[in-house]
Order: sequence, then structure tokens, then C-alpha cells
Amino acid sequence: MKRRAFIITGGIIGGGFLVGVGGLLHVNRKIAQYSGQGMGAGTSLNAFVRIGPGNAIILAVSKTEMGQGVYTALPQLIAEELEVEMSQIQVVHPQPEGPYANLFMAHEEPRDAFGDLTMMQKVFAYVPSIITGGSTSVRDDYDHLRVVGAMAREMLLSAAAKKWGVDRAICQAEKGKIINKDTGEQLTYGELAPEAVQEEAPKNPPLKKHTEFKLVGKSVPRLDVPEKVNGRAVFGLDVRPENMKFAVIRHPSEVAGKIVSINNQKAVESLPGVISVVQIDEGVAVVADTTWHARNGSDALQLKEETSKHVDAIPKLKAALKGDPAKIWEDQGDIEKVLSESDQVLESSYEVPYLAHACMEPLNCTVLITGDHAEAWTGNQSSTFIINGVSEGAGISKDKIICHTTYLGGGFGRRGETDFVLEAAKVAKHFPGVPIQLVYTREEDMRNDTYRPAVVAQLTAGLDENNITGWKKKVGTQGALAGLFARNIPMMPMSPEDDPSSTEGMRELPYQMEAAYTDLSTVDLPMTVGTWRSVGHSQNAFFTECFMDECAHALGKDPYELRREMLVESPRHAAVLDKLAEISNWKVDPDPGVFRGLAIHESFGSIVGEVAEIRLDGKKIKADKVYCVIDCGRTVNPAIIESQMQSGIVYGLTAALFGEIQVKDGKIVQSNFPNYKMVTMKSMPEVVTHIMDVDEYPGGVGEPGTPPIAPAVVNAIFAATGERIRSLPLSKHGYIS
Amino acid sequence: MILTINGKEHRIDVDPKMPLLWVLRDILNMTGTKYGCGVAACGACTVHVDGQPTRSCLYPVSSAEGKEIITVEGLEAGHLSAVQQAWIKHQVPQCGYCQSGMIMATEALLNEIPNPTDADIDRRITNICRCGTYQRIRAAIKEAAQLRMQEVLSEVQETEAS
Repeated sequence: MKRRAFIITGGIIGGGFLVGVGGLLHVNRKIAQYSGQGMGAGTSLNAFVRIGPGNAIILAVSKTEMGQGVYTALPQLIAEELEVEMSQIQVVHPQPEGPYANLFMAHEEPRDAFGDLTMMQKVFAYVPSIITGGSTSVRDDYDHLRVVGAMAREMLLSAAAKKWGVDRAICQAEKGKIINKDTGEQLTYGELAPEAVQEEAPKNPPLKKHTEFKLVGKSVPRLDVPEKVNGRAVFGLDVRPENMKFAVIRHPSEVAGKIVSINNQKAVESLPGVISVVQIDEGVAVVADTTWHARNGSDALQLKEETSKHVDAIPKLKAALKGDPAKIWEDQGDIEKVLSESDQVLESSYEVPYLAHACMEPLNCTVLITGDHAEAWTGNQSSTFIINGVSEGAGISKDKIICHTTYLGGGFGRRGETDFVLEAAKVAKHFPGVPIQLVYTREEDMRNDTYRPAVVAQLTAGLDENNITGWKKKVGTQGALAGLFARNIPMMPMSPEDDPSSTEGMRELPYQMEAAYTDLSTVDLPMTVGTWRSVGHSQNAFFTECFMDECAHALGKDPYELRREMLVESPRHAAVLDKLAEISNWKVDPDPGVFRGLAIHESFGSIVGEVAEIRLDGKKIKADKVYCVIDCGRTVNPAIIESQMQSGIVYGLTAALFGEIQVKDGKIVQSNFPNYKMVTMKSMPEVVTHIMDVDEYPGGVGEPGTPPIAPAVVNAIFAATGERIRSLPLSKHGYIS
Repeated sequence: MILTINGKEHRIDVDPKMPLLWVLRDILNMTGTKYGCGVAACGACTVHVDGQPTRSCLYPVSSAEGKEIITVEGLEAGHLSAVQQAWIKHQVPQCGYCQSGMIMATEALLNEIPNPTDADIDRRITNICRCGTYQRIRAAIKEAAQLRMQEVLSEVQETEAS
């Protein structure tokens, strides 16, 4: 699979960042020497492994747990080489410092476990970006954490050998102990840690072969599950530092609007339980004794607002597609020549709406400001960004800010933003010494999202008698990643036409054609857009995989057969497709009343194929079953991969059936679950997942399950009715669930 | 006002209109019960009031006075409940935020319908999970139903034996 430059586009080099960095930093050494600050009592053998009291193995997991299972999968990687049992492990999320930077983000390549870092990786470590996103967690850590575990193990072995005065070769690491194979004597890691830390960390510790793994590749139970069934798991909203007060914020009621003044501040401040009303640039917060009192105060606010004039996005985007593109992203072969020489030209226009993330836990952040120090508690996808947000909001130096990262009640891209953090810090600044827990009500959460952008696309295919000869693809959108960068990594500005996410999954497809062309048109719109689970792939797979079905229909070919013919040069894709056809029994007609659609898509280093089986009763649609095949290379925890496929499918299915954020008179129409509907128990299909056995570097799993489900369902509707749906959600076309 | 929560009495002085959810979370610091929507649509705030599954975000605390309130923190009676055990066995939670409510809704379902059909589950478990854990929830509900019946059976056998 091609690994594509991801983030290098744009300004990091132009920003002059490399000056002074070159060669100064050897991050591997830093990992070895790092003290493990903030990891509690015990002895750190390196930045990731701390031996705590009672032989507890405390592991720093530098990715955050939002349901995707990293607090289990990443410890599995360390434990495999460290030779400890999963039951010994305690997970901490460290402070955002160099050794914990997500280096895969830098250029979509795993770091060289035994070599040095690339210049780009050094930059990312020097300016630590602790980021959980882009389905990069295992991809960033797969080699690296095994080396980290092996380094610590070797130090423990050396210490034991010295203590016993024996040859290292008769010492064996097992279940958190070093065993003397001759005498049977044992020393726990806890007993050895004070001496082991004196040993030099080996640069190239021996690693197991993949065939020798005992933990990696096994469905070990998740470490976070026990506290998620008894109410003890702590999410951002659950922190209760002493003397904390609660704040509910109201934002402008219109998109890109502005609150000018508060008409009834005194009246609201005299309401029971209300302490204060604080106006900041972003809105008005009511601070009170409880969330309920704060909410009542917030509801009672009478605000004078400047109105904005918001124009519907889709017509503007469609108009942009008619003009010159901002950037050509793919131009392979001579597309115009191929189209003009084709027997038949097929052209279709597609569109998708804005979408909200709607994490189950509404956005929140708790901030305490004491003198020139600050602490923040929040579930986040980047503690680096959180500290930036607190620093900006409270005017406190970054090195004086501590970020306590809790579990995330869902992330999906939304918690990589800092609007709610900045606001909490600004409000907390008014209450020195008092922790302030600022929460968005569900309504504020839904109306102040960093939405998945609305996107339009125009696809043109050249067809000869049997084949697709070329695809011309035009995309119009705002740019999800450009939005996120502008807000959170201002030193790496990305202009919307340079946003690779807008055309990801649209360009460089595995299908063999004579010509392929993709261009991007961008429009500056007042809606705030950002990354939403699977980002550009979330809509581009819908466009391309539905259009592939249209081509199959025009050629009179089976949707599986056409794709299969076009994937001859992509054996991993072809294998996924064949396995999908096999487990879904594609070549046999489905039961009467059951209709099927198929889609396959590569994203985040993995290939996922899905077949949706649906039933229709008039316009009432029910997806009964989804067959899902994933090739994500080597696996760490298959049970978690299976749950991520189910999860990605539900997320995408919800959006395909119901998902739409509309703007009317400048205001976001949707506000809460009754009008932003979700798939629930009764609309959940049975998902049958097959994980391919492929000996390649791991791909992502958090996002790749999402893109294929919308086209699979929409293609099934075509199979059932002959109705070709080219815009989402399905509810807009009268379909109900 | 005195509230009986998980068998323990709590004396509180609050506005009687205050929803039970916020009394639990912000007054008593019992944060296992979650805020998700505030309009009784998502079920993250589900608790039992006199055995009835109740979405506590819209339920005035005054209505709970004199009644038995059970929250997720009160399910363990020396050991995990059958539902909690099934949740662990089937590795249900992902982000976990909705699971307190899911578990409380399931406990109530099984109290009323010990061996629910798929249709019963669809009708009664209307909570929202954004991570999409529904498939494992369904399997765990069925497992919990079996576990509960075994527990009842072994209790009966123990009684007979003594």
C-alpha cells in the first residue's frame, strides 16, 4: 500500500521551524533517560515503563482512550517484550512531553525502532504533539513500544545477573519476575527496579519474532472494561476537585454570530445557586453551585446579538465546481482524451451535508488557575492542544500548566479541538483558586460543533464496451483538516486547497484505469468544520463507491465482478473483495425480500469491504446484516478490531440514515437527539466481521470501518428499487428506519 | 429532604424541582450516572426508582423522596451483578459513557422479563450508544438472563439443601 505524505504539505518547513533543531535531539536516548515525571511512585526504567510499589507495572500510554481500545492494545505491545501479565498493568496518560509525541502523524511512516529519527520526526518530538487521531495509535507505536518494553526487560535482566553474580544467559524474564534458571530463585521487577535503573539502556534490544508473540495478536480482555461497568470510570465531567463550581456557556445563536451584550445580567446573577455571569469573546457563561443552576441561569439569559447572514453552503459549493479548480490533486493519463474517445460518458453529481460529532459526553473542561499555574482536566485527543488552549485562554505560560487527561466519552475528531478548553480557561481566570467545570449542554454541543463539512462532487466516467477507461472527479468543500490546523497548529497553516483530506479516498484509487483526474474547489464559508471520524473518506467513499456501482450498472456487470477486474494490480484489495464475496455468499442470490450492496475502500492504512443486506417495506428501511472484511495488516487485539468495525459501521450508518446539520436563518436547526437521530438497538444490523491474516505493518482500525457503509447501503437500495440516491441522508429521500 | 440511594440515606437541602441526576452528580458526587442529553432521550442517566427504570435528567428529586433509588454504583452486592458480569464477558464498553445507563436499563428489563426476546430488547432498550456497542449489548443481555436464572436455580438448590 502506498503511504502518502500527510501533513508535510504546507508550512512547517516554511515556518522556519527547523532552524536550531537539526541534530540536537536524539529522541531514542531521551526516551531511555526520561524520568517518567507524573507517573506516581516507583522507579522509571524509561519514559514508558515505571515499576511501582507492589510490583505494579505502570505504563505510559501516550494515546488517549476514547473507546478504541488503546489503553489495552498499546500496553499489550509493551507487555509482550517486558514479560509482564496484563493484570499487573496500570495505565497512565503522561504529560505532553517529547518522548510521547505522535511521530507517525509527521509523515505516515513508522519510526525506525533501531535507527535514528527522520528530521520530520525530530521536529515533532521537539515540539511535542501528543495526538490521538487519524487511526495512528497502533501505527505509531507498534515497533516502538515493543522496543521500549524490551529495553526495560534487558535492564532488569542485567540487574538480576549482577545481584546473583551469574551469567545473564541463565536469567529469564517471566510474568513480572526474573528467574534464575539454574537455582529457580526469583526476583520481582519491583525488587530489581532500583538496581535496574542504574543499567545502561540497550540501544538494540532483541525482539521476538511475530510467530513468538504471546499477547500481541490475541484478544486479551480490555483493561478499561471493569471500571466502565460499575460507574467508576472517570470522564471529564466526573472530576470533582475540591470547591469546584459549575459553568454552562451560551454561544451566539447564529453561525459566526456575536453576542453584543447581556440585557439581564443582574437578574440572572440573583437566581438561586448562581454565582456570577461572565462574558467572554466566545459567549456568556453562568457560573453556579451545580450544573442545573448554571443551566437555569443560562436559559434565563437575555442576550443582544449581532445577526449574521448565512448563505446555504451547497449552492455555493456547486457554483464553485463550475469554475476553475483551486488545485489539481491527481492527473494520471490524459483524462480529456480518454473521455472523448470513450464509447459512453457517464456523469453524476453527489452531495453530503454537514454532520455533528455528537459524542455521548457533551464537551467539557475543568480548569483551576492558581497564581501563575493552571491545571486542566478533560478528555482530549491532544494534551498538547489542551495546554495551548489553557495558555491562550488564561495567559499562563505553557510550562506551568498540567493537563489531567480523563477517559473520553467519545472523541471522533471533536476532542482534538480546544474551543471548550479556551473558554473554560477564560472563565476560570475570573475565579483564581476555584476549579471551574465548564460544560456545553447537549444543545450547545450540537450547535457549536466543528462539523464534518458539506461536500459536493461531480464524477465523470469514460466507458468502453467492457471497462471503465477513466474517471474525472471534482470535489467542492471547505477543508476539514485546514480548519483544524488553523485553529490548533497555527505555526503550520494549511490553506484549504492544500488540505489533503478533502480529496483523500477520491484520488489514487486502486482501480486500474487509463486516466484518473481529481481536482478540488474550495469555498470560504462561515461554518466551522473539522475532522469527523474518517474525515474526507467519510464522504469520498460514498461518492466513488456509489459511482462504481453506477458504472457497473451501465456496463451491465455485477458490482463485485467489475471491481474485481479493476483490482488485478492490487492483490490486497482483491483478496479483501474475494473474502467479502465468500462470507456474504455474494454469488448466490439473497433470500426473497433481501437486497445487497457492496463497497470497498482503503483508508488509514487499512482496506475494508462491506456488504449491506437490507429489507424495504415501502420506504421503511432496515439493514439486517453487514458483512465486513478488514485487512489491517498484523493485528494487536482482534476482539477490539471487531468492535471497531461494528462501531465504525454504526457511526457511518447513523449518518447515512439520518445525519444532517441544517442551517436556517443563520441558526443550526438540530439541537439534540430527538432531532439528530441515532441508530439504536432496533435499527442495529448484525455485523459479521472477518479479519484478514496479512503479515504487513499494521494499519488503522478506528476509522476505516466507517467509509464503506453508506455506499453499501445506498447500493443495496439501488438493487432493491432501481432508485439511484446521490445525496445523504436517506431520510431526505423519504426513507425511514 | 431524605433520599435513600443504594440502601443508604442521604440528607440533602435542595430545590425540590432539581432533577435527580444533578443531585446525584453535583450534590452527592455520585458521578456514575451520566448526563447525555437532558431531555430523557439518550438514557445515559437511567437509575431505578422503586424498581422502575427512570431517566433522572428530567425527574424532580422531590418525586424520589421516600423511594428506593438504585444507581450503577449500587449494583454490586459483594460481587458484580449478572448484568455486569455479562458486560465484562462480552467486552461491551468502548468509550463507556453510556454504559451505566445501558446496564441500569438492562437490569430493569430483566427484572420484568427474565428471558427477553430480541423484540423485547429492541422495544425496551432505547438508550443511545454513539460507539455502536449494540451488538455486544444484545449478546450480553441474553447471557445475563441465563446467568440470573442460574443464580436463582442455585439459590433454590442451596435453600433445599439446608
